[in-house]
Amino acid sequence: MKIDRRLLINFDWVFLGVVLLISVIGILNIYSASHNLYVRGEPLYVKQIYWLLVGLALMVVTFSVDYHTIMRHAYLIYLVSIVLLFLVSLYGTMTHGSQRWLVLWGFSFQPSELMKLALIFILARYFSDHTQEGYHAGSILILLAIVGVPVYMIARQPDLGTAMFLVLLFGSIVIFAGIGRKIIVWGIASGMVLAPLFWFVLKDYQKERILTFLNPERDPLGTGYHIIQSIIAVGSGSLWGKGFMRGTQTQLKFLPEQQTDFAFSVFAEEWGFAGVVVLMFIFLALLLWSLKITQSARDLPGTLLAFGVTMFMFWGICINIGMVLGIFPVVGIPLPFFSYGGSSMVVLMMGAGLLMNVSMRRFILQP
Amino acid sequence: MFGNRDRLENYDPQRFRTKIRAFTWLVVCVFFLLVARTWYLQIARGDTLRQRSENNRIRIQEIKPLRGLIVDTRGDILVDNQPSFDISVIPEIAKDVVDVGLRLANLCDWGGDGISFEKASFKSGKPFIPVKVARNIGRDKLAAVETNSLNLPGVVVDVVPVREYIYGDVMAHILGYVGEISTSELERSTFAAYRADDIIGKYGIEKYLDGALKGKSGGEQVEVDAAGRRLNVLGRIDPVSGYNVVLNIDSDLQKVCWDAFQEKAGTAIVMDPRSGAVMAMVSKPSFDPNLFNRGISGEAWKELTTNPLCPLQNRAISGQYPPGSTYKLIVAAAALEEGLITEDTEIFCNGTYQMGDRTFRCWKKGGHGTVNLHRAIVESCDVYFYHLGEMIGVDRLAEYAEKFGFGSRTGISLPGEKEGLVPSREWKRKRFGESWQKGETTSLAIGQGFVLVTPLQLLRAYCALANGGELYRPRLIRRIETTDGLTIGEFFPEAGGTIPVSKKNADILRYGLWGVVNEPHGTGWALKRGEKDVCGKTGTSQVISLREDEDEIADDDIPYRFRDHALFVCFAPYKDPVMAVAVVVEHGGHGGSTAAPIARRIVDGYFGLERERGT
Repeated sequence: MKIDRRLLINFDWVFLGVVLLISVIGILNIYSASHNLYVRGEPLYVKQIYWLLVGLALMVVTFSVDYHTIMRHAYLIYLVSIVLLFLVSLYGTMTHGSQRWLVLWGFSFQPSELMKLALIFILARYFSDHTQEGYHAGSILILLAIVGVPVYMIARQPDLGTAMFLVLLFGSIVIFAGIGRKIIVWGIASGMVLAPLFWFVLKDYQKERILTFLNPERDPLGTGYHIIQSIIAVGSGSLWGKGFMRGTQTQLKFLPEQQTDFAFSVFAEEWGFAGVVVLMFIFLALLLWSLKITQSARDLPGTLLAFGVTMFMFWGICINIGMVLGIFPVVGIPLPFFSYGGSSMVVLMMGAGLLMNVSMRRFILQP
Repeated sequence: MFGNRDRLENYDPQRFRTKIRAFTWLVVCVFFLLVARTWYLQIARGDTLRQRSENNRIRIQEIKPLRGLIVDTRGDILVDNQPSFDISVIPEIAKDVVDVGLRLANLCDWGGDGISFEKASFKSGKPFIPVKVARNIGRDKLAAVETNSLNLPGVVVDVVPVREYIYGDVMAHILGYVGEISTSELERSTFAAYRADDIIGKYGIEKYLDGALKGKSGGEQVEVDAAGRRLNVLGRIDPVSGYNVVLNIDSDLQKVCWDAFQEKAGTAIVMDPRSGAVMAMVSKPSFDPNLFNRGISGEAWKELTTNPLCPLQNRAISGQYPPGSTYKLIVAAAALEEGLITEDTEIFCNGTYQMGDRTFRCWKKGGHGTVNLHRAIVESCDVYFYHLGEMIGVDRLAEYAEKFGFGSRTGISLPGEKEGLVPSREWKRKRFGESWQKGETTSLAIGQGFVLVTPLQLLRAYCALANGGELYRPRLIRRIETTDGLTIGEFFPEAGGTIPVSKKNADILRYGLWGVVNEPHGTGWALKRGEKDVCGKTGTSQVISLREDEDEIADDDIPYRFRDHALFVCFAPYKDPVMAVAVVVEHGGHGGSTAAPIARRIVDGYFGLERERGT
C-alpha cells in the first residue's frame, strides 16, 4: 500500500500526546490505588500497560485504514456487536450480579464497550446515506430500532449505566446530524412521559441506587457507601492533596472500586484541587481538540464519526466524574483512558484512532 | 451505496459550525460545573471531609484500667483482680465461622448456650474486628482451646480482669459487688463520665468508693483499614489503676462474727468505741458477690431477690428494729439528766402497770418487787421504765433519742443506710393525723411501739456511753492509697456530737450495764468473763404485741416471722472499753438466750485474737 506523504505531515501528534498523557497519569493512579492489592497474575497497573499497548496497536490499525473503508463495513460491525451481545446473554460470566463479560481465547472483554463504537459507526453511516431527504416516520423507526436493540440487550444484563450511555450518545449524534426540531421536541416530550413508566421496569437494586443517589445517608453501609466514601475521599484531598500513594481513603480501602469506576476519587484525594484542575484542563483540551477535528473534517462521514467519538469521550468524562463527585447516580461508566479496564481502554484507543484518522485525512479526498 | 463522490465534494464544512460551537459551550459549561463541584468538596468542605477521612481510619480503642484492691486493716487482701478468659473470633481469619464454631463447641463440650455463634453478628462489614463468642471460660476450656489453636483459625483468647472476693459471702455486704453499667444508670447525669461497657460498683464499698476504685481508662489511637484490620498504633495513653482501699475491718474478727452466727438470720457489728472504726460487720443470710462478676444468671438473681430472708439486705445499716430493752439506756439517761430520778429512786414492781384502761406487764411474772435504777437495769425491769416513760413524756424522750443519734443516718460509708424512727407527738400527727396516746409512751419506754433503730445506730449510742460521750461516725474506710502505697486520703475519727449525759450519770449507767452481765439475776449472764469484763444490755423486741389476756407461749409455737427479735449490745472491758458489739438475731427469741451467746463468742474471739497477736 502506498502511503500518502500528506498523511504523515498531517499526523495529529497533539491529540496522540494528550491521549498518552491521560493514559500515563491513569496508570500511575492505578499503581497508587492497587499496589497493595492482591490479584492473580500481573499487578493491575502492568495489565493496564499491556492494554494500553494493545490499544495503541489497534489505534495504528484504525487510523491507517481510511475511515471511508471502515464506514463501508459499519453495518457489519454493528451486526457483529449485536451477535456478541447476544453471546454474552448466553455465555457471559457473572460479576456483581450482572452478565457483562465474554471470555474469548483467555481474554475477557465487554461487548457493550464495543457497541458504543459500533453505534457511532452505524449512525454516521446512516446519516451520511440519508442526507437532506427529511426524516420521515420510517427513518425514525429505523433509528429507534438501531439504538433500541442494543440498549435493550445491555439493560437486560443488567447494565443500566451503559444502556443510558448509549441513549445519550445516540441522542447527541441525532441532534447533531440535524434531525428536525419537531422530532426532537416530540422525542424529549415522550421521553418525559415514559420515564415514570420506566421506574417499574427497573430492578430493585437499580431503584435502590437511584434513591440512594438522591439521599446517600439513607443506606450508609450499603448502596450509599460508595457515594459517601467517594465524597470523603475527594473532599479530604483539599487544595494540595495527601500526596501520591498517601491517600488514606484509597490506601486503607475505604474507597470502593478505586482502580476502575472511582479512579478519579483516588486522584482527587492524592493530588487535591490543584491536581484536579490540571487533569480537568487536560481532559478539556482533549475534548476541544476533538471538536476542532470535527470542525475540520473534510466530509460528512468524517464529521459525524469525529463528533460521535468526541461525545463518547465527553459523556464518559461527564458521567464518571459527576458520579464520583456525587452529582450523578453510581453507574458503571469508566473515565476515558484513566480507569482500569481492558475493553474500555482498547475501544477508546480505537476511537482515538478514528479521530486521528479523520484528522490526518482532512485534506485528502477519498480516492 | 455509501461513498458517493458528488456528495463528498458538495460537503460544506461550515454546515456544522453553529452546532459544534454549541457543543463546545456545552463541554466548557459542564467542565466548569465539575470543577466548581470539586472546589466545593475540596476547598469549601475540605476541612470537614478531611476530618471524616481521619475518623474513618483512626479508631480510639479504650484500655480498661485495673480496679483498685480492697484490703483489711492489717493488709489482708479482701478483693483481688483475677484474669478471666473470653473467646473471640476474627471472621476474616476464621473464614468459615460456623465450622470453627462447631469445632470449638465439640472441643470444649459446650452446650448450646455456652457459646453464641449467631451468623448475623459476623456481618459487620469489618471482618478484622473480633466478635466475642464466649465469656468467662474456665481454665480447663482455656487449656483445650490453647492446645488446639492450630485447628481453630481466627480464635483468640482475651484476658479480662474480674473481681475476686476472697471471703465470698462473709464480707458481701461490706464489699458489695460490681457489674456492667446499666442503660438506666448511663442515662443519669451522675454517670456522665462512664461508658457503655464500664464495670461499676453496684453495692457496698465497691459502689460507695467507685470513683476511687475504678481508675482511669487509657487508650490507643490505632490506624485501621476499611476491613477493621489494625495497621499502626499512632499513640497510646496508659490506663491508671484504681486506688487501693484499706478498711478498718479485721478479716479474722469478721470470720469470728460470721461463725458465731451459725445459721441464724441477723447482724453483728464490732466497733472501736474510741474512734468509731468498724472492725467487723456481718449480715446474714448473705450471698456470694463473685456471682456477679461476669453478669449474674437470671436464675441466681431471681433466687436472691425472691428469697423471703432478703440476703441482699445489709441488716446492720438497713435493718430497722424496735430496740426493745436496749432502749432503756436512753430512757434512764433522760430521767437522770432531767433530774426526775436519782440512782436511789425506788419503784415497786408487782409485774403489771396500769395506764388508763390498759394493763402493761413486766417480762417477769409476779414482778421484781422494790427496785432502784441499778437493779432495774440489771434485771431489765419493765415496770420501772414504764414509770420513767410517764415521767419523761414522749417529746422529751425523742429529744434525748435524737441526741443519742437515733432517727438519722450515722453516715457510714455504705449505700443504702436507713434512718430508723424516733416517734414524737408531731410525728404522729403528721404521719397518722392522730394525737399521741399515753399508752404509747409506755411502750416506747421499753423500746417497743413505733420506735425503730438500725443495729449500727444502737451500737454507736452504746459506744458513746463507753467512750465518755463522743458520738463517732462509724468508719469503715481507713485509708485510700495509690498502688505504690502512697496515701491520698485518710479517714480520721469524726465526732458527730456528744450525748447529753454527765460524767456522774454515765458512770451510773455504765455500772448498770456492768451489772447486767456480772451480777446475779443479770440478763446478760452469758457474757460473764473472768477478765476483760463486759458491760451490756439485752433486748427482746416484739414483732407483734401479745394480747393482754394471752399468756406467754413457747417460741416454737409461734410462726417464724412473728417471733421476737433478740438483741444484745455490749462493750468491754468495763474500764476503758476497746471494743463494742451489737448483735441482732432476727426472730431469735430472747436477747439473753439467743443474742448474748453470739456476742459472747465475738467478745471471746476479739480478745483471743488480741492475745494471739500479742497486742
